[in-house]
Order: sequence, then C-alpha cells, then structure tokens
Amino acid sequence: MSRKTLTVALAGNPNSGKTTIFNALTGARQHVGNYPGVTVERKEGTRTYKGYDIRFVDLPGTYSLTAHSIEEVVARDFIIDEHPDVVVDIVDASNFERNLYLATQLVELKVPLILALNMVDLAEKQGFKFDQEKIGRFFNARVISTVGSKGVGINNLLDTIIEQVEKGDAAPKDAAIHYGDDIEKELEKVMPLVCQEHTLAKKYGARWLSLKLLEQDKEILDKGHSPEVLEAAVASIEHLEKLYGDTPEILVAEKRYGYISGVYEQAVIRTVETRHNMSDWVDKLLLNRVLGLPIFFGLMYLVFKLTFWAGDPFMGYIEAGFEWLGGFISGFWPEGTDSALHSLLVDGIIGGVGGVVVFLPNIILLFLAIAILEDSGYMARAAFLMDRVMKKIGLDGRSFIPMVIGFGCSIPAIMGTRILEDRKSRFATIMVLPLMSCGARLPIYALIIPAFFASHLHGLMMWLIYVIGILLAIILAFILRKTLLKGDTGLFLMELPPYRMPTLRGLMIHMWERSWLYLKKAGTVILFISIVLWALTSYPKVSETELVGLSEYEAQQTELRHSVAGRIGAGMEPAIKLMGFDYRIGTALVGALAAKEVFVSQLGIVYSMGETDEESTTLRQKLAENYTPLQGFCIMLFCLISAPCVATLAVCRRETNSWKWALFQFGGLTMVAYIITVVVYQIGRLFIT
Amino acid sequence: MGQTEKLSASLEDYLEAIFEIVSEKGGVRAKDIAAKLSVKAGSVTGALQALAERNYINYAPYEVITLTDQGTAAARQIIRKHEVLKDFFVDILGASPDIAEDGACKAEHVIPDELIDRLVTFAEFVQACPRCGDDWLQHYRQHCYQDTAKAFNDCQACIDNKSSSLKGNQEMIQQAEMCLADVPVGEKCVVKKINRKASATKRLVEMGVSRGSIIEVERVAPLGDPIEVKVKGYHLSIRKDEAACIEVQPS
Repeated sequence: MSRKTLTVALAGNPNSGKTTIFNALTGARQHVGNYPGVTVERKEGTRTYKGYDIRFVDLPGTYSLTAHSIEEVVARDFIIDEHPDVVVDIVDASNFERNLYLATQLVELKVPLILALNMVDLAEKQGFKFDQEKIGRFFNARVISTVGSKGVGINNLLDTIIEQVEKGDAAPKDAAIHYGDDIEKELEKVMPLVCQEHTLAKKYGARWLSLKLLEQDKEILDKGHSPEVLEAAVASIEHLEKLYGDTPEILVAEKRYGYISGVYEQAVIRTVETRHNMSDWVDKLLLNRVLGLPIFFGLMYLVFKLTFWAGDPFMGYIEAGFEWLGGFISGFWPEGTDSALHSLLVDGIIGGVGGVVVFLPNIILLFLAIAILEDSGYMARAAFLMDRVMKKIGLDGRSFIPMVIGFGCSIPAIMGTRILEDRKSRFATIMVLPLMSCGARLPIYALIIPAFFASHLHGLMMWLIYVIGILLAIILAFILRKTLLKGDTGLFLMELPPYRMPTLRGLMIHMWERSWLYLKKAGTVILFISIVLWALTSYPKVSETELVGLSEYEAQQTELRHSVAGRIGAGMEPAIKLMGFDYRIGTALVGALAAKEVFVSQLGIVYSMGETDEESTTLRQKLAENYTPLQGFCIMLFCLISAPCVATLAVCRRETNSWKWALFQFGGLTMVAYIITVVVYQIGRLFIT
Repeated sequence: MGQTEKLSASLEDYLEAIFEIVSEKGGVRAKDIAAKLSVKAGSVTGALQALAERNYINYAPYEVITLTDQGTAAARQIIRKHEVLKDFFVDILGASPDIAEDGACKAEHVIPDELIDRLVTFAEFVQACPRCGDDWLQHYRQHCYQDTAKAFNDCQACIDNKSSSLKGNQEMIQQAEMCLADVPVGEKCVVKKINRKASATKRLVEMGVSRGSIIEVERVAPLGDPIEVKVKGYHLSIRKDEAACIEVQPS
C-alpha cells in the first residue's frame, strides 16, 4: 500500500499557541522558507500517521483574513490556491470570541475545517465549559480540545484529521453566516453578475467573492472584474452606507461578531466568574505606574549582563578550538615553507570565520533571553511601556523589540520588524537598526578600549558607545519620519497576551532559528569575504628580490603596502585623515565593510601580528604606541555608525524589497559616520592638544 | 388705495372712535364722536371732512356717518394694533389695564406693522415655548412686584433651581460625547460609535471593539500613553488618540 500524502494548514490568531501545536505535531522535522515573492516565513513540517504522510503548513498568525496585511493575504491565498486537505484553526479557548472571528472567515472559504480549542485547561480553570458538538454545528466543523504545551490532544487531533479526510465533512457545507436582510439583499444583487465571471467564481465561490467586493477587499477588487460587477458593488456599498451610516466592511465585521456572540450564548457556559487571574496580578506589578519602568530597565540590564558573563567561558573554548584547527592544518606543511593554500586556509578562512563564530555563545544566549521574554508574553509589555517614547520619534512600541534584538545581530532584528504593520514605521526602524551596536562590533570595542583607556573607564566607555548608538538611532528615525518616511504611525492595537510559562522546546526552536541565521552568515558571506580579503591583502606579491635584506617585520609591511588592500587604504588616506585615521586603519576598514568583526583581524594583519584577536596585548601595545585615545575613540565611533555589514545590506534589500533603500541605508549611515567622526576628531584635537 | 397717504395720529383716533361707535350703535353722529374723544364738536367737523376727503367715511352734514370699505379696513388695522399692544403690556409685561390702554393708544399710531407682527410672534413664543412658558412669566411678574433686593434672593433660588436641572441636561449631553480616553481606570463602558476612517474602524471592529461591546479600562502605561483595556475577555493596548475617537457611554 502506497502511503497517501495530506496537506494540513494550521491557522490561528497570534498567541493562540499555534506554534506550540505545530511543534508538537512535527517535532524537529521542520523546514523554514519564504512564501514566493513576499518576506513572510513559511514553516512546514511532516508527520507520518496511520499510513498517511501529513505535511503541516504553519500559516502566519492572523486575527482575520482580509487584505489588511501581507500575512493575512498569504494565509488566505494559501488556502484558496493550494487547497489543503484540512484546515485546523487553533482557537485559544480562554479568548474564545476573538479567536473565533478567524473561524467565521474560514467557514466562508468552505474549507474542511477542524477547530482545536487550545489551552482548554486554562479556560476551564477560568470557568468556561464548551459544548463542542454545538460549536461544531455552528461552524460546520469537527471540534476537539488540546493543550499544546503539554501535548494533550495531539493524537486526537491527528485522528480527527484522518477522520475528516476519510469521512468528509461532519455536516453539509451549506450553512453560512446570515448577514441580515439588508446585506443579503445586496449580495443577491451582486451574486448573479459575479457568477458570470466563470473562472473567478469557480475559484473563489460567488458568495464569497460578492461579500469581499462589498467589503472593498483590495486584493479581490484587483482581480479583473467586469465593469458591471464593480458598478453593482459600488451601488450596493453606497446603498448600505446610506442605510447604516457605516461601510459594509464594518457592518460585515460586526455581524460576524454578532454570530459569535450567538454561538457563545448557546455553546459556552461560564461556571465561575474570575475577576483576576494570575496574569493580571503579574501585570499589576510589571506594568505598575511606578515600578513598571525600573523593572523593565532592570530586566534589560540583566539580559545583557547574562549574555556576556555566561558566554565568556564558551568563547574561550571556541577560540581554542579554532586555534587547534589552525595548528592542525599547519601541520601538513613543513615548517618554514611558504604556501598560498596554507595561508588561505589558516589566515583567511579559519581566521575570518573563526573570528565570527567566536561570538556564537553570546548570540545564542542573547537570543535565548529574547525568546524567554517573547514566549512568556513580556515583549508585548515592553512595547506597551515604551510606546510613548517610540511614538515621539515617529515609531511604534513594537519597534522596540527588533531594536533589542539588534544588540545581538542586525539580521534577525531586521527580519523581526515584520511585526510592524505600518510600512513607513517599519522602514524607518530597519534604517536605524544597525545603530544598535550589534555583537559583531563588540570585538572592536574590546580591542580598542583597553588599549587607550584606564581600566576604571572601561565600563563607562562601553556604555558611552552603546548610548551614542541609541541616541543617534532616535535622532535619525525622527528625521526620517519627518522627511522621507512621513506619515501616521498607524494603529497601535496590540494584544497583551496572558503570561505563559515558555516551553523548553519552544525556546530552543526560537533561539536556534535566529542563531542559525547568524551562523549561516559566518558560513556564507563571511567565508566568501574572508577569502576575498585574504586575496586583497596578499596580492599582488612583491618580488623576492625586493625583500632581500629586510627584517621579517619590514618585509610584511612592504608586502601589505604593495597589496590591493594596502593600496585602497593608502588611496583613502587623504579622506580618512580628517577623522584621524591612517592607511593602516583604512585597510582594516575595508575589511570591516564586509563584516564588522573583520576589522580586528585586519588590523592584526596590518600590524603583522599573525594570529590576533581582541585579547591580544601586543596589538593593543602597538595601537597605544601609534594612536592617541581620541583616535581610538574615533575608530569606535566610525565602526559603530558606518555602513552595516554586507549581510545586513543583503537582508535589508530583501526585507524592503528594494536596492534603493538598502543602498540608502549603506551610504547614508557611512556619510553620517564620516561627518560625525570628523567633527569629533577635529573638535577633540583642539581640546586635547 | 388711499393708504399711500398716511393718517395723522388724531385722524386715526377719529377713525377708531367711528368704528367703535358704528359697531355699537350702527350709525354715528358728530356729537357721539365729540363725546367719546372728549373734544369740541367744531374740531370734529374738520376731522370728519379730512377723513371724507381721503374716502374713509361717507359724510354729509346732518346725516349719519358711515365707514367706507377702505375706512373699515384701516380702522380694523388700527384696532388690531391697539389690542396687540394692550395685550402685550398686560399679559406679558404685567402692566395694569389702564396704563396699558393709555400706552396702547399712544403707541398704536407710531409703531410699524412689522414690529406688531414681531410682538405677536414673541408673545406666542413666550406663552408656548416649554423653556419659558407660564411659570416663567409668573416668576417675572413676582419679580416685578418685589423690591429689588428680595427679588434678587428669589432669583438666586430660581437660578439654583434651574441650573441644577440644567446640569442634569448637560450630563446627558456629556455622556453622549464621552470617549474611551476619558473613561477612568477600572471603569466599564459600552462602545457607541467609532469616528475613524473605514480601514482603521474595521481593524478595531475585527479586534472586538465594535458597537455595543463592553470595554473595561485596565490601566494607563507608566509614561501616560497607551492604555490597556479589556474587551471580549482579552487585553488590548490602544493609544489615547485612538481611544479619543471611540465614543462610549458608561455601562
């Protein structure tokens, strides 16, 4: 017997526990991709059950299925275009009414529907009792209950999916929500005309199409309707608007909630009324008018402290590992011989990639902390607390979350801006995100600060550089929102979900997904860049005769100046001199363009220190001998502000879907960095000398 | 018509007297007029000739005097003015009938027709409008009979009385215009109307904030802006300027 394959789509509101169910269903057999043409993540996983290969598609979490956001359009198109065998709507049972709003729309798409009342244990604790059979009749669906976090009801869900496929619908799919005589009458006027548009009507169903036309659904209006249909729709809309003083899209939405209230009355019993649950009590403390903000800042501090403190030993291990690897590879070449391949492997690849991978522990820990904050529900509170401030600079409280992630790595942070509905605030957030000093800039600070400043100033300098980044981000976002990205901030309608204990599995998956992006950057972009940079610093070679008689140090210097990178650095010297940089820093900056952390290893190569990292005392001595503290500070300043790394550029281009914006970010930030650094250096020089 | 030529005040008095005597006795003689207006018979003759010249009366010496159609109309008009003024002075202003009669007699000759119409309308309005009405007039009259200080005290009581009932009205008006942003923390309200453009309204409705839904304000963020509300059993954060567009009434 050959196994049959099924496609099952998981739909549901954000915070309904959909991802937990998806994880419980598929385990580690997941695959993350993108929906074609858009930047919405598409998660798929498989499960073999009772002779079926079931492919689960985790649709984006949405509150509705209108054309309001890309996510909603993607979810809707998937259901219409790919005809999943079953759609499972994950319903947060303790938030029954709002969660069912999505279900009313799934019913209208006439899909084989299963309603999974999730977190039913919590709902029961709050005194809700559900008559599943009755609910099923209202929605033409099979209804089951689950507790995703404990894996309860997962097998039942799988069985129900098979039952749905084998036995068909529990009830005939004829019933639909009745929108009241006035709207129904208008629907009847539009429907016969829609029926004449055969291909469209066949694909979407005439009633659904007509309804969407009355709702003025942007996507559906653009499907190439005949003028008669559009005319009839406009007439109906105007008629209804005159009758009710509201547009049909609002009337329809109200009617859906009316229908749900009916279901609620009939099929849900509330046994006890609990005024305040645990979550409310926690909020009383965490969102307290006096304590709320101090607790928030305390938590942020804790996150960073933990990240760097706990990550330290692991960094040591990784460093040692790469050192050993370098040594191991060097072993294949006899001592003293010079080989291009040897140099490429050890200096180029291992040095370059290793320099990035070393920060993986920090990144993983930071993402773990962020995952805890997100999965527990605190991130929404952070957005709530910070919205006032973010609104002042023309952004949204929710912009704050990607900005926190930005301290780890700009790439997942830019992808995290997807939670912002308003395009302009999203773009403004993306543009300033690289100013959140990412983990890759840390090695630069770690090298420079001890080289130039007394130990009691270390913490202060570190703090200063982070704060400058944040302040600059605020200023630039403000300017952008007043000029290029002018407009309202849009609605700040954000659910504050109940606090939940994060599941270990959820945390691991969350953490891993983001860390993987970072690691992938190390494996691809940085690997490539490392090779290129190695080539740039190694070629063209100086002829052996010219090196005769020079010491090893002098020889390396000569070779470097002769190389492409050295020439670029020297070429830039007149320009960067204003910032107090010489050709050596210029050469290192060429590398930093590719990835910030490369700056350190580049500087090492420039100063011929061989294997160097930010802990290198000899490199620090060299720096202290050659530059003033002001120059050191200017190096940090420039590295903080200037062009984000190539990987960020690529992600920015993908997320904004425009090279223009990506290059604007790249060029704009570099220019700002140049101007600020020049000003700081020139003014600073007056005071210091 | 002879109305182009305006009658003098005394001629109008004559015309009025003739009309009144005619309606009493059917016919008029010069001495009746002299008696009614307390003037000498000689001056009556001159006036009657003047009125006859203007074709208001039929007049020949020693014959009974009658009014022409034009004379009747003019007399009615004058009497109407007289009555209106007198009624106004008595009913509205509360003057004594004698003074009112005298005042009306004097005013009727000079007051333009339009002002008479206005006075009529005003009297009707004062008597019919629920906001002034009879009790209002009553108060006015009491006010007139009292000495100023006392009247003022009474007025104060009256004002207090009125303003408290007005406050009730105002509260009703305010309730109608209350918005979600005004609802104090911990209170519940019912959504009446959302004054936003359609796309934003729809978004609100989809999140459960629709007409008739009950919203409880849970808290205000520490920095004072977004507020947290509970709607349909879940928590939603919403900015104050959005909340200001949501009309509510306390539940």
